[in-house]
Amino acid sequence: MKVLIVDDSQIMRKIITGVLKKLKVSDIIEAVNGQEAVDKVGENDDIGLVLMDWNMPTMNGLEAVKKIRANGSKVPIVMCTTEAEKEKVLEAVKAGTNDYLVKPFNPKDIQAKLGKFLSACVS
Amino acid sequence: MKVEYINPFIQSVSETFSSMLDCEVTHGKPFPTKDDGQSNHLIGIIGLSGTAQGNIAIKFPAETAMAIVGSLVGTNFSKVDSSVVDGVGELVNIIAGNAKVKIRGHRISISLPTVLRGGIHKLSSRSIAYITIPFKSAKGDFEILISFRPNAKEKQEAMHESAYSR
Repeated sequence: MKVLIVDDSQIMRKIITGVLKKLKVSDIIEAVNGQEAVDKVGENDDIGLVLMDWNMPTMNGLEAVKKIRANGSKVPIVMCTTEAEKEKVLEAVKAGTNDYLVKPFNPKDIQAKLGKFLSACVS
Repeated sequence: MKVEYINPFIQSVSETFSSMLDCEVTHGKPFPTKDDGQSNHLIGIIGLSGTAQGNIAIKFPAETAMAIVGSLVGTNFSKVDSSVVDGVGELVNIIAGNAKVKIRGHRISISLPTVLRGGIHKLSSRSIAYITIPFKSAKGDFEILISFRPNAKEKQEAMHESAYSR
């Protein structure tokens, strides 16, 4: 199963990719905004986890989660964002987010938060 | 500018560098931002809106930006390319996002970051007064520039809320 990293920052995508590879996740695809994420989830039925930034151009992460769920996908989605206010977390969960990872984070944070979702994605 | 608006940004810088770069930072005394005549900088800037208006910027000498962004991704950069610019934008995004949660009595949204190449004059041309906080780290020195202006009504409510929460 693939992991889809959605972030407009190429550096953040590289950081997350590096951590996932250390966790033996090798099948990784990327999207640079929410619309690309919606499209890629629709095109790929073998995505096992989506890591979604919130603040992105074109379409933000919250809107992307709403559209992915409206399209019927049940793929696990973890928000990876600086938006840490309680009301933002609740808004994301209400939209269909499965878990929440607040930036800044380190590799141990990613491993701890994503471990339960990654078993289907480890090669 | 009140200390309760400055400290969250200092804490956020410290947490971001410690968590993402395993790098401790120390900061000096804040001072009003002045043009230092230096032009070889990368300045990541992000706008604040909501119950306060303003901007947050992080200003790196080019060499420091390359060292810090290189450390984030385990790469050695020999020139400022799109990855370095992107990394400076992401750092200011994380610092501003982390700090806004710590500012009591305010609801603040952040814009998408932009990155300027050059000197302080690029910021001062916007007619906004900034406070500079100098930082030292093992990866090089850098500065955080803060412009934070509570809206009049929210300023009173924040003071009221702060008084009750003590």
